[in-house]
Amino acid sequence: MSFLENLLAGFSAAVAGPGIPVMIAGVAWGTIGGAIPGISGAVAMSLALPYTLSLDAATALVMLAGVWAGANYGGSIPAILMRMPGTPGAAAALFDGYELKRQGLAAKALGVSLVCGTIGGLISVVVLMALVVPLGSVVLAFGSPEVFALALFGLTLLAGLTERSFLKGLASGYFGLLLTTVGIDTLTGSLRFTFGRSELLSGLDIVSVMVGLFAVSEMLVQIAHPSRREAVPEGSAYTAFPTLAELRSVWRATAVGTVVGLIVGIMPGAGATASSFVAYNEARRWSKRPDLFGKGSMEGVAAPETANNAVQGGDLVPTLALGIPGSNSAAIMLAALILHGIVPGPFLLSKHTHLVFTLFAGLILVNLLMIPVGLVILRGCLLVLRLDRPVLIAAILAMIVIGTYAADLFLLNPLLALFFGVVGYGMRRCGFSPAAAVLGLVLGFLVESELRRSLLISYGSWTIFVARPISAVLLALTLGAVLYPAVMYLRSRRHTQAAATGLS
Amino acid sequence: MNAPTRPLRELPVAAFLVAFGSLVVAGARNIPSGVPTDPLGPRAFPMALGAGIACCGALLAAATALFRGQTVRTGILADADPDDEAAPGPFSPGRLIAAVGVTLGYLAAFEPVGYLITTPLYVIAILLIHGGAARRSLWLAPTLITAALYAVFRFGLLIPVPVGLLERLLPR
Repeated sequence: MSFLENLLAGFSAAVAGPGIPVMIAGVAWGTIGGAIPGISGAVAMSLALPYTLSLDAATALVMLAGVWAGANYGGSIPAILMRMPGTPGAAAALFDGYELKRQGLAAKALGVSLVCGTIGGLISVVVLMALVVPLGSVVLAFGSPEVFALALFGLTLLAGLTERSFLKGLASGYFGLLLTTVGIDTLTGSLRFTFGRSELLSGLDIVSVMVGLFAVSEMLVQIAHPSRREAVPEGSAYTAFPTLAELRSVWRATAVGTVVGLIVGIMPGAGATASSFVAYNEARRWSKRPDLFGKGSMEGVAAPETANNAVQGGDLVPTLALGIPGSNSAAIMLAALILHGIVPGPFLLSKHTHLVFTLFAGLILVNLLMIPVGLVILRGCLLVLRLDRPVLIAAILAMIVIGTYAADLFLLNPLLALFFGVVGYGMRRCGFSPAAAVLGLVLGFLVESELRRSLLISYGSWTIFVARPISAVLLALTLGAVLYPAVMYLRSRRHTQAAATGLS
Repeated sequence: MNAPTRPLRELPVAAFLVAFGSLVVAGARNIPSGVPTDPLGPRAFPMALGAGIACCGALLAAATALFRGQTVRTGILADADPDDEAAPGPFSPGRLIAAVGVTLGYLAAFEPVGYLITTPLYVIAILLIHGGAARRSLWLAPTLITAALYAVFRFGLLIPVPVGLLERLLPR
């Protein structure tokens, strides 16, 4: 089938059955979730994960893509109206968004955020399709050693990039990998870490672990560290679409935001936060009126919001082409695949072409749905933001319990979610990364099975990994990713000492 | 951005990593080793991970001891941790323990007592533990949350929720 035929088939699959209502529900939940400070896109997605189990794999992915896209926009609502970003990625939009609100232009700022975000999201999907298909053909040459080396490289890179301490990030990743070893070993049938419990034979429920590490731990943080609550503006808010002239005035910022979002998104570990700040700075550099930035510039809203949404397509490039998630949200997409019995990896496109094209079509549709849903849901977001924080926490915890229970009608699942919530809370307190653990959880099966398969091919010889050029290069890059933070640390220490000597 | 210093409180964390990694290695020794058709076997991977975690702990301890008081490079990017952005308030261990305890109790009663009885009580308990909720929330929120989730699962997703003590009154 040609590319276009695949895409058309993807569109018809995406809208079939409950497709459209599920997409609307996903975007609506994502927007509301994103608007609640503390509920990042990844948390909103992990909360939605148990509800996707009754859907087929493609519809589940499209729903999660909707949550992701919705959360990207939702984060900007409190940023513009309350000077408090709902998601970290919306932080850059508050500089000018809140200034515009003070000037009585909140509706316009919300409109620019919504329209430019949609433009960024749509362009990023086009680029995603343009990159994933050729990359997917290249990775067909990969064997088990290359896949193992690739997964290891991705995990090391992500563990290193997303954390304050590389060692703690790495340990978190190892912990996530370790969690995948619980249960019956699929190759030999041996029992591993089941502690005599038959409930653990099939391994840990990935949804419960993920919901625990992301969502329950976040709720525990909010309960154990109650913070000051920002005032929600009284009265109603609405969204005003930018006119064509206004859109023309922000085209440069939108273009900058799209390019930055895509480039930053493709880099594993880099995410919406980095992209929106880089886009804001670049847009100011390229703007004809840089003096207006920080004082209520429409471009200052357009650039970070476009980048924030364009990251989604960029993030999915390594995720779909190589099986390496570019961010936590992408890792949750891969987890949804695992839940539906699909092993993520470099062969996803070749083995599940229809699924990937349905996701492409779904991404286009959810980005288009952002505008009508975003318009309608704004009032709902304000209502939720006005709710008492304890009510929100209680509602989310009850939702987690029944959501994880409903997956298998099994009480062990919410217990696991609570256990891993406590573990995730402890990890956060001590500076570890629950996100790296989740990445390990998603990549664990791939890493171990490909390692063992490689050694089976080589009759137990480890030289197979260095004898094959692609895996050798990938392993060298992995080593570099491990050593780089140490080298940088020693260099910065030397600089500090030199500066101290110079001062004394 | 000010670079944080590496405080001595990292030492117990490092010790925990070493102990946990060693426990994993010890536990993995009970797993059978490789066979001709699977030279690595099911034991090696968890053992390597345990060793890796222990090594991370040892390196962290060494770095803490060697570079105490020195500045530490911060990570380049922090997309994941919402608490980084939210500037959490002061730690209240009582609330944390109470919330975990109440959730455990809720789970214990979930099936035998039933969703419709336990959920409102759980919501009230969380509201009281957190504090700061308006008085009307104490009766309105439990009712609305319980009813909304029940409707979503029972009638929307067609998933049976535990009826417990209300078995005779409600359809399963």
